[in-house]
Amino acid sequence: MIEIVHTGPFNTVQDLGRPGYRNIGVTASGAMDSLALKIGNMIVGNDEGAAAVEIQTFPFRARFSGRVVFALTGADCGATLDGVELLPWCTYAAEMGQVLDLAQPRAATRAYLCAQGGVDVPSVMGSRSTSLRGGFGGNAGRSLAAGDVIGLGEIVDAAWPKDGLAVIDPGLALSEMFPPSSDGLLPIRALPAGEHELFGADAERFWEQTWKISAQSDRTGYRLSGDPIKPTAPVEMRSHGVVPGVIQVPPSGEPIVQMSDANTAGGYPKIAGVIEADLWRLGQARIGSRLQFVRTTHSEALAVEKAVAGYVEDVRNTSQMVKRALKAMA
Amino acid sequence: MSDVDFSDPATIALLTSALEAAGVDGVEIEQPASGLRILLAKGSRPFVSGGSKPGGRAATMVIRAPMAGRFWVHHPSWPATARNYPRPVTRMDVLGFIRVGPILLPLRTAVSGRVEKCVAEHDAMVGFGDSLFEIEPHS
Repeated sequence: MIEIVHTGPFNTVQDLGRPGYRNIGVTASGAMDSLALKIGNMIVGNDEGAAAVEIQTFPFRARFSGRVVFALTGADCGATLDGVELLPWCTYAAEMGQVLDLAQPRAATRAYLCAQGGVDVPSVMGSRSTSLRGGFGGNAGRSLAAGDVIGLGEIVDAAWPKDGLAVIDPGLALSEMFPPSSDGLLPIRALPAGEHELFGADAERFWEQTWKISAQSDRTGYRLSGDPIKPTAPVEMRSHGVVPGVIQVPPSGEPIVQMSDANTAGGYPKIAGVIEADLWRLGQARIGSRLQFVRTTHSEALAVEKAVAGYVEDVRNTSQMVKRALKAMA
Repeated sequence: MSDVDFSDPATIALLTSALEAAGVDGVEIEQPASGLRILLAKGSRPFVSGGSKPGGRAATMVIRAPMAGRFWVHHPSWPATARNYPRPVTRMDVLGFIRVGPILLPLRTAVSGRVEKCVAEHDAMVGFGDSLFEIEPHS
């Protein structure tokens, strides 16, 4: 078990979410950086969709009340275990009473504490993710608080290497597909959406300018600051379904990107949609940082998605191969 | 009869092909100064490990490669973690990694002490049992 000693607000239990219920108004939730969650789970020997702790406010402190194999993926938080510095994307075995500390990330914004067995909270509608707005799922439907004790599930892969496993993180492994941001400007690929043409010349300004992620951003959506863009004529639309990645433009003219806790419906015009393969990167973008939308194509979106899937499969297969090899050598 | 160089990739490839053709699961070859193990599993890439078996001084603990792969003295994303030697080490420290594709196998020591030296080159291909670090354990 893991005891939460200190936590900031909005740190929650998340897995890959509960898709399939938007039609009845249930947001999917799930990790903002689903790639970090999957890889973290794989290297500790869990199913890739096991629940973990998503930490987005710091400092964070937890105490292990038994031997727990864990990994921290996503943002590098300069984590320590009993004061000894830990590497992210690397597994460690904590002993009873050891204390894990996470500080403000050096880069990126969300860390995932993936523990062997996965966080054991009740599954609601097929997921252990916390829906903060719905007040259900995860840890009693709320953010973690000091004093909470998180149980862990059954270990599905007991053949864990005694010295653990680490992984080349997706930022490096997929650097050709995800070029590093230049001058702190994060490129996010998007496709024009249904109402793109209604913005006339302002549509081009949407792509050309840099947007700042405002402080009014959370797991539901990122509100962007910049030169407002407006449709050429007022638009009256019926509410329609929205999903993570949809970029809406409210009357203020400053776009909103729907994220993991996306609304299930909305009536603002949609100027573009972030490609799914770039959402993990957006999920790691910091409040106050700048981004620029890069107009892409369906074929490029599919190529990026394929590259990400290839990386995940490579980690899955190679980690299994390494474990088999170590077992054979033992 | 001349000695066969079992660290030669061409020799390993030849042996692997021969095992596959013969439907044999694996082979282990031991020599006084080196060893080679090739394991084949259905639907998986062959697993190859091998290398020399140098002896360490009695008081010195040698950290050896647990399997074949590329030796990395630091995590590729955190090169700043590379350090000079000698340096102190605890049981939790990761000394380096064996890289196999996207997976990094951490190299750790069972005891605390001092890493005297790193005896392998960064990014070198190493085999099972190759010496990587020499550690002077704390008494």
